Amino acid sequence: MTDTMLTPGPRTAAGADQASPAGPPRPGRLLQPRVAGALRLLPWGLFAAVLLLPVAGFLLVAVSPRLFDQGDAWFTWAPFQQVLSGWTAHALLDSLAVGAGAALLATAVALALAWLTERTTLAGQGLWRLLLWALLLAPSYLESLGWTWLVEPQGVLDRLLGQDPVWLRSVVFGPAGVIWVLATRGVPFAYLAVTALLRGLGREFEDAARTHGGGRLATARVVLPMLAPALWAAFATVFAESISDYGVAATLASQGNFPLLTGAMEQSISTFPADFPLASAMGWLLLALVGLALLAQRRSLRGRSYQVLSGRTRPARRARLGAVRQTAALVGVGGFFLAAAGVPAFGAAAASLLPSGGKVSAASLSLANFRHVLGSGEMMSALGYSARLAAITACAAVVLGAVAGRALARQGGGRAGRLLDLLLLAAIALPSVLLASGYIFTYNLPFASSLGIDLYGTTTLLVLGYLAGALPSAARLLSGPLGQVSDSLLWAARIHGRRPAAAWAGAVLPLVAGSLVWTWLIAFCGTLLELPVSQLLAPPGQEPLSVAITRQLQGYDLGAGAAMTVVVVAGALVLIGLVLGALRLFLPTARRLEALA
Amino acid sequence: MAVLSACGSSQSAGSGGSVVATGAPVPLVVYSAQGYDQAMVTAFQKATGIPTKLVDDSTGPLLARVQAERGNPQWGVLWVDGDEAFAALDQAGMLVKNFEPNVQLNAAGQAVVPKDRSYVPTGLTVTAALVYDASKTPNPPTSWQDLLSPTWKGAVGMNDPAVSGPTYPFVAGMFNQLGGDSQGEAFYSSLKSNGLHVFQTNGDTLHALQTGQIKVALIQSSAGIAAGIKDKNIKTAYLPKVTSLPSVIGIDGKVSAQEQAEAEKFASFVLSPQGQQVMLTGDRNGDSLYWPIVQDVTPDPELPALAAVPTQAIDPYVWGPKEGTVNTWFTNTIVH
Repeated sequence: MTDTMLTPGPRTAAGADQASPAGPPRPGRLLQPRVAGALRLLPWGLFAAVLLLPVAGFLLVAVSPRLFDQGDAWFTWAPFQQVLSGWTAHALLDSLAVGAGAALLATAVALALAWLTERTTLAGQGLWRLLLWALLLAPSYLESLGWTWLVEPQGVLDRLLGQDPVWLRSVVFGPAGVIWVLATRGVPFAYLAVTALLRGLGREFEDAARTHGGGRLATARVVLPMLAPALWAAFATVFAESISDYGVAATLASQGNFPLLTGAMEQSISTFPADFPLASAMGWLLLALVGLALLAQRRSLRGRSYQVLSGRTRPARRARLGAVRQTAALVGVGGFFLAAAGVPAFGAAAASLLPSGGKVSAASLSLANFRHVLGSGEMMSALGYSARLAAITACAAVVLGAVAGRALARQGGGRAGRLLDLLLLAAIALPSVLLASGYIFTYNLPFASSLGIDLYGTTTLLVLGYLAGALPSAARLLSGPLGQVSDSLLWAARIHGRRPAAAWAGAVLPLVAGSLVWTWLIAFCGTLLELPVSQLLAPPGQEPLSVAITRQLQGYDLGAGAAMTVVVVAGALVLIGLVLGALRLFLPTARRLEALA
Repeated sequence: MAVLSACGSSQSAGSGGSVVATGAPVPLVVYSAQGYDQAMVTAFQKATGIPTKLVDDSTGPLLARVQAERGNPQWGVLWVDGDEAFAALDQAGMLVKNFEPNVQLNAAGQAVVPKDRSYVPTGLTVTAALVYDASKTPNPPTSWQDLLSPTWKGAVGMNDPAVSGPTYPFVAGMFNQLGGDSQGEAFYSSLKSNGLHVFQTNGDTLHALQTGQIKVALIQSSAGIAAGIKDKNIKTAYLPKVTSLPSVIGIDGKVSAQEQAEAEKFASFVLSPQGQQVMLTGDRNGDSLYWPIVQDVTPDPELPALAAVPTQAIDPYVWGPKEGTVNTWFTNTIVH
């Protein structure tokens, strides 16, 4: 594992001193270990503030409701008994099945997609990447809405075919539809995890298998186990994201009367009186499910090293696809994106272009909703506020995510690493609304106020809440690429006389810059439209974008809400194009890495 | 400005709980789910100079926030539809009592003022109105029992009371008028046997009506009338009886004296002629479609006279504390 990032570890410092020809250390250097120690502790303090305290605060409510003014008992197991009976127990099993199904499907699709785009001459690479981004940006409710518009009675298929698609509706509004939508939402995450590793995996391993007479299958059997960290990371992340998704639970699953645990959790909070202890007990059970996935991941990877990227890594060669294979691959990839990204695009377009009531016809399409939205100062001020906070959150998520990613990728990990891993997955597994409640419980305690910590109701706490949502994905996305970079690269630069920062910037940054930028963009885009944390933590007098959009959607103005969503998603896509363009312009070495073929 | 001086005088004219503001203004924090709240806050701030900060969201998230903040409340004013939640908050000691703005209420308004003056009703809608498409359904049902007949099998839709704030008063109202819990449960169980569809919110149920999944939607009156303004075929009818659903302002019981005085001023401003004008015009396609409870203020012309609507008011202090139990029963038995 590398010690090359922001906080140089003891091994790097020792190595540097040995290699340094500069003689006795300068006086300033004596302070370095203390400063470095403080620097090393700083991110852990932030992890505690952002993740540990709110998660612990929320989870404590289940066993000690009285501590937070949410019941009479100082200690009780009653909420757990309540969850494990009746329909909520059923919902728990449903969530487990749906999470595993979505994670498997997403990982398999992502692996195929990553191999096709990274290791073959598949046409339309830029388009597929853009579509992956679009998939990542579309909120899950939008994809669900697209499917609903398509298959509902009097919906588009009904009108196009002249027949009500009853069978398709029963599939979509049920386990299969829910798994599909969640899997398509998970594919970009899984794809990023797999490609990051695939790019670093030189061709020497394939060459070795081939040289020893192995066919395609045998080569795959050699290479696939090397991808195990990425595949497990993809599986665990998509599993945790899927079981904590609320958008799909509230739409497709609820219409199909297929209860999921997140639906039950949300319901126990949004109803009056809110039952926070019950929701917290469900949170414990979701964490237990994620714990199972984590355990499986750890057992599979234990005792092996996956450092494959070093100074001797040779670029992989792309397999040339013949006409037949090219066509088959294009049909497969195109079909996937049509079903995954085409449907939400259709949903958003239909909802934003159609008038909100009355008969639907080609003549009734109009841009009125867009004119209304773009002309409204309210929307622009909400957009500006959310964009600022999203940019701050994304920067913090990249820095802290890199630190956390390094800790995750370290062999063995240590007790702190394991705790961090568990916390990050807890933050993914707990639906945002529960995490936000945890923020209120923790940072609004009268005791905190008496200490002068009045964070609740401020933009600072809202950013911390956003960070809790963005950090887990950032850490997972960065742990793969950072875990891959061998220390030998940095040592080589240091031996050749580069100072630590310059050595890192020259030897390591180009290798991880692509991942850092992608992580920033994901955190930015995910935060821009984040709803549950915004709803519970927005400071008085400020309205985040998602709250403004939801108000339109719930105020019987579906068209304006959908138009706002389309404008934001389109704007975010433009931003992604600009950032990736800038990366290629200012860091051409990173570009060469991206085109490693 | 005449209105303002009326407001100002209401502070000293208010009964027992009202407080006279003496110190420098502090920001008043308003949690509101009303469509016209931004307009109201702007008008209030302009008229009084009191800095006012709004958290504008749906009823569910706002009530969740209020309950999560219970140990250390950050809100000054809570303004949402339905008095059941306020009765429960009052019983939990979370509201300022004995405050009543100095305005003349009409009979419908007086009927929904609580005895201990722990919250302030500001307007009325009813639930559940029967909303239908007259071009597809020329002969809508005329009684609640009609909905259980084969004619309406699989044709009725309503919201889930555990998700949609204004739906619990409808469920409680049916329990109340049918004679109690067991009769109410029997009614909804029969409705389920007859193919009742349960959606999440007003918007979802209206969408199901417009796409023909259901023929009649049982939703809040303002949502039905708003849909009728956009699509003239959508009509709203009122089966005997529908339950009145007041919009209500409550003031945080732990608030400082200064902020309490400002909150009382806000409630008085809402019921003043200027405030009522803001309520009637601030959200023409939604919450502005209400029946005023202040004497001599007339509703939007789209609304029928309230006297023509067969309305009942239920006791929020009886039905408020039952909300959790009834919603749990509904979720376990009717939804799943």
